[in-house]
Amino acid sequence: MASQRLGEAALSESGPSHHHHHIPYSLPHMLHHPNTSFIRNQEGSAFDFGELEEAIVLQGVKINNDETKQPLYTTVRPAATLEMFPSWPMRFQQHTPRGSSKSGEESTDSGSAVNTLSTTRLEPDSPISRKTSSDHRLPPPQPPPQMDTGSGVDSPRTGGSQTQPAAKQAPEKTLRRLAQNREAARKSRLRKKAYVQQLESSRIRLTQLEQDLQRARSQGLLLGGGGVAGGNISSGGAIFDMEYARWLDDDHRHMSELRTALQAHLSDGDLRVIVDGYIAHYDEIFRLKGVAAKSDVFHLITGMWTTPAERCFLWMGGFRPSDLIKMLITQLDPLTEQQVMGIYGLQQSSQQAEEALSQGLEQLQQSLINTIANGSINDNMHHMAVALGKLSNLEGFVRQADNLRQQTLHQLRRILTVRQAARCFLVIGEYYGRLRALSSLWASRPRETLIVDDSSCQTTTTDLQMVQSSQNQFSNF
Amino acid sequence: MQYQSDSHHYCSSSVHTAVDPLERVVRLASGSAVVIFSISTCCMCHAVKSLFCGMGVNPTVYELDHHPRGKEIERVLTRLLGGGSAVPVVFIGGRLVGAMDRVMASHINGTLVPLLKKAGALWL
Repeated sequence: MASQRLGEAALSESGPSHHHHHIPYSLPHMLHHPNTSFIRNQEGSAFDFGELEEAIVLQGVKINNDETKQPLYTTVRPAATLEMFPSWPMRFQQHTPRGSSKSGEESTDSGSAVNTLSTTRLEPDSPISRKTSSDHRLPPPQPPPQMDTGSGVDSPRTGGSQTQPAAKQAPEKTLRRLAQNREAARKSRLRKKAYVQQLESSRIRLTQLEQDLQRARSQGLLLGGGGVAGGNISSGGAIFDMEYARWLDDDHRHMSELRTALQAHLSDGDLRVIVDGYIAHYDEIFRLKGVAAKSDVFHLITGMWTTPAERCFLWMGGFRPSDLIKMLITQLDPLTEQQVMGIYGLQQSSQQAEEALSQGLEQLQQSLINTIANGSINDNMHHMAVALGKLSNLEGFVRQADNLRQQTLHQLRRILTVRQAARCFLVIGEYYGRLRALSSLWASRPRETLIVDDSSCQTTTTDLQMVQSSQNQFSNF
Repeated sequence: MQYQSDSHHYCSSSVHTAVDPLERVVRLASGSAVVIFSISTCCMCHAVKSLFCGMGVNPTVYELDHHPRGKEIERVLTRLLGGGSAVPVVFIGGRLVGAMDRVMASHINGTLVPLLKKAGALWL
């Protein structure tokens, strides 16, 4: 205990000109002591920072002879500056429920500081920013990196010992020093708040970067070696992912074209050209999927080319046509009676076709299970060859499923008028756009739901805010 | 579903006479309203059979791996389809509909059911 206070005292008493610089730096050293008894002490009895200063000063602690201080400084790892803030909230947390006399900014700090408990990966900008900040700062004798190695602490130690007798002899100087300490502490709290906010924004940026990275990786842009060593995606799959990404861009273009055309009330002839162009666009993706099924059917059938939300509803490597029809029925009013019959007939026939294909695939799976299960040691290669042969049938099923999807879209075009078809395809595009957006939102949702009690309502608010702000995205589709 | 393990439609003499394989296929296909050429282990054949049974149709199925002339029928069908897998192949009313993709396309575009009704395989 005493040794930790020594740390603070040593740095805080090295001289008036260096006083206020050392208070913020001293804490990490104290709190980084292996047994963290200081932290525990704080938990046990919350005391004012000012009180600590006064206690240290008035006790006149010796600093020279304490040998445990050596390990205190030399065991400070470079990550000490990273952990300096996570330890601060412990103090603030106690103050907040107690309605402390500290300024309101502290409770804000505790809220945001709690959030930063989970983020320890980012390099601390604060020591560097502190170094460069121009307010009242004189060049400190110990810049943070030196402090980490403990080599720079010699001067304050000796300085402290020199000023110790001075502290006893001149209480006025002590009081002035205490006031300066408090001022420095306040300023450092402000700096900490800025640092925490910086951490928060960096964290959000980091999640976005991770998402982009994952997306890029899934698109095969970062294969670096053709997906042999570290790549978990085949070249066929990677190529398809890139083509699919390009197709999605084209999709946006087609959709805006459709939207403008509908709003501009073009003639049916002109609209038909645009609608037929959109159908050709869909034909293209089915063609690309056919090629991809030959090289990597697993990539298609497991839905690794889609977003997680789409994958949730995946049927045989793509959307389920009957689900699409069900969704469209509510969106396509007004329809003539004949059209309604046509749409319901389409829904029924697609359902029957889906059922048939599903049963065929199920039989394939059963047959595969039997082959793999019955492989004997002697006959292993033969059974593997048989299993491989059966697996090759997967491509046929994905092809038939895509064929079903393609035919469904073509039939929709036949049943509807040009204008209805234009609206219909716009609805389809917007629907899948929202589904994809849902995946992104889900991936970037705040994870603070892991922290319960006090911060739970805070998290809910954040979630709600996120949802509200994201609804604006839908208008883009 | 009616499975024909041998050509019951022929008199015994035709089994030994040299019947043109194509002619044999045509004759088999004309024997019932809905004829499916299949292989017992083929899963896509199972799918097409499920499709018709699900619609309430009773197709006649020839399992070529159990048919004495299975191999040559397969060759004929491959030629008829223009390559690819010989099975499954569907004939309705004696006329070739095609492989699975053609069957599904005709079901989706609404032409399959009228065809079945005309062949007498479906009643409303």
